Amino acid sequence: MALFAAVAIAATAGGVAYHLGSRGGGSTAAADSGAVVEQVYAARLADLKGRAQALGQWQGQVLVVNFWATWCAPCREEIPGFVRMQERYGPRGLQFVGIAIDQPDKVAEFSREFHINYPLLIGGLETVELMRQAGNRAGVLPYTLVIDRDGKLVSREPGGLKEARLERIVQPLL
Amino acid sequence: MRFVLILLLVLSSLARGAEPELLEPDQAFRFMARLKDARTIEVNYQIAPGYYLYRDKFRFTLAPADARAGTPQLPAGKLKRDEFFGEVETYRGHLAIALPFELDADATTAITLTALSQGCADVGVCYVPHEQKARLSLAAAGGAASDASLGQLLGLGQRAPGADDALIARVFESGFWLVVASFFGFGLLLSLTPCVLPMVPILSGVIVGAGHPVTKTKGFLLAAAFVLGMAIAYAVAGVAAGLSGAMLSAVLQNPWVVGAFAAVFVALALAMFGFYDLQLPVALQGRIAAASNRLHGGHYAGVFSMGLLSALIVGPCVAAPLAGALLYISQSRDVVLGGSALFALALGMGVPLLAIGASAGALLPKAGPWMETMKRFFGTLLLGVAIFLVSPFLPVAVQMFLWGALLIVAAIYLRAIDPLPAGAHGFQRFSKGVGVLALLAGLVYLVGAFSGGRDILQPLSGFRITAREGEPSAAPFQRVNSPAELDARIQAAAGRTVMLDFYADWCISCKEMERYTFSDERVQARFRDMVLLQADVTANTAEHAALLRRFRLFGPPGIVFFDREGREIRGLRVIGFQPADRFVAALDQALGFR
Repeated sequence: MALFAAVAIAATAGGVAYHLGSRGGGSTAAADSGAVVEQVYAARLADLKGRAQALGQWQGQVLVVNFWATWCAPCREEIPGFVRMQERYGPRGLQFVGIAIDQPDKVAEFSREFHINYPLLIGGLETVELMRQAGNRAGVLPYTLVIDRDGKLVSREPGGLKEARLERIVQPLL
Repeated sequence: MRFVLILLLVLSSLARGAEPELLEPDQAFRFMARLKDARTIEVNYQIAPGYYLYRDKFRFTLAPADARAGTPQLPAGKLKRDEFFGEVETYRGHLAIALPFELDADATTAITLTALSQGCADVGVCYVPHEQKARLSLAAAGGAASDASLGQLLGLGQRAPGADDALIARVFESGFWLVVASFFGFGLLLSLTPCVLPMVPILSGVIVGAGHPVTKTKGFLLAAAFVLGMAIAYAVAGVAAGLSGAMLSAVLQNPWVVGAFAAVFVALALAMFGFYDLQLPVALQGRIAAASNRLHGGHYAGVFSMGLLSALIVGPCVAAPLAGALLYISQSRDVVLGGSALFALALGMGVPLLAIGASAGALLPKAGPWMETMKRFFGTLLLGVAIFLVSPFLPVAVQMFLWGALLIVAAIYLRAIDPLPAGAHGFQRFSKGVGVLALLAGLVYLVGAFSGGRDILQPLSGFRITAREGEPSAAPFQRVNSPAELDARIQAAAGRTVMLDFYADWCISCKEMERYTFSDERVQARFRDMVLLQADVTANTAEHAALLRRFRLFGPPGIVFFDREGREIRGLRVIGFQPADRFVAALDQALGFR
């Protein structure tokens, strides 16, 4: 009887175990936040005119990096708030940077329509990888990183960000 | 070693609960591809509720280079207003795309499909363009299962212990023979449950009923014919149900079908007791005898068809694996794999029956009074099975009366009240002892039946001092009858966890859940923190069907949980009977889910 049960369980578990095994190395732990910020500063991406821009140029400011796309409705909803905040807090050292996982022409059109007053860069596959390393394993958009003046990763925000919430995060840093 | 590996992986998947309400893209948009014919790939997405894909964002590419993808045939989507792009078309639920392709080199045996898709979740996030791959073997057009989802198997971070359906559905997404082997294993496990017990008297009845002495080999062969019949019934029923998407279990558990089976058992039992000889008309008998003389096995056909029929009886027992299998078959339309898997399941369940077949032949004496005792024993068992089958449709008092009557009559056959002769030998004394026990138990049941006992396991509970008069005997379920009503109730739940129980009068496991699990005090305690909804789909109206479809269920039993925001907690479904211990664990997960 015991032998029988063992065979039964083995036959069932065989398939299950195989697949568990085939999942491979498990989850890659998100890199520590210091390394993430370094990678952000090191990234060079094309702007809407096709010129490469290094994100490192905003080092020392309170940097809000927003990953988004024009086809992503929840991303678009938060952008007017970003525009207002850039206007209000820009003089005090707050800098938004939008990284669009998108086609440049769509982004340019969107930028005009919404009067975006901060730099927009075009991201590709390597940007998606950067985003994943920053803890966004599922690759969701929008995804927003807040980095303080000392290069410390203060917050990672998956999903739509309300203006009030972002203000609470940013104000102590300014 | 492998066990340790499993443990580690399970732990790691549990540990990733940081954003529990958001699915990984592979789970939000479950991807499967297969060859529809030699020149078309069928790409399937199963989109989780609350998620959608954009119609105009799909990109399909093929490797190697000599395979070229044609224009995908995208079905019409649902229009969604978008303030920036105007109208956009989106897909929800199940999506099948036909992708024609061309091959330059005939020697190509396998191609790899890379599918790029873009989608979002209603909660307010989108996913970056997501790439999924499937390798398709060109040699096996038709039955080719993609191995794209290998990595998905058990990859659900939210996998919960109670989610039988999800486990089974995922096992399907693997290689063909692996699936078949796994299902054989499931069958073996099922054979360890009491589910197979009703089959034993049927089979034994068939073998013993053959009348003439049965050899070991013949017993085994008869059992084999029986098991084969059972297996084929499962395979056919599974495939048919998958194709039609019908409520198979509803048909199988229909009172008339079950009643007919019970009647057959009663007839068989009466024959066992020697009230009449179970015989076919003489003319037919002669022909069959002639045929069996020629063919060496006219009898086997009868046993085979008996197996076919009895497969239907244990249906409620195998509800969980069956639901999973049917779920998969209906979604993938891969009837070959689905049918084979169910066939293997039934073969696994049949293994102990084969052993019984072989041993019954060995145990049975050639003739004599032994044989009569054996026949009566099986007759009693057959009557018991008949009562068990119809019991879901009967009031408890009637069930108790029937069990009482059966036990008392059996006791009389065991000579419980005949005086023992002076020189009685051991066996007679023993059988009288058993008879007296049966007599007492039968009396208790009769008393229970007439004193309002409400629990078949506690027939005298009617006598218990009813101090706890206000105690709710049944959980306070609110009835829902349509998807709209369900939505309204979930909204009204306002921040409480909701449990939706699919129920039908014919559903045996539902009744078992009610009687043994819902009544448990620990379960009741947790119920107090939840909103309990019940969909009674006995009438099976169009609204009921819509409700079931929404949760991709084929019918009860099925319990679905919603979190405090009214979203379904995926991977936590309870399908089929669960004892209180396991169910409490599922409830705790549902309550703790945020």
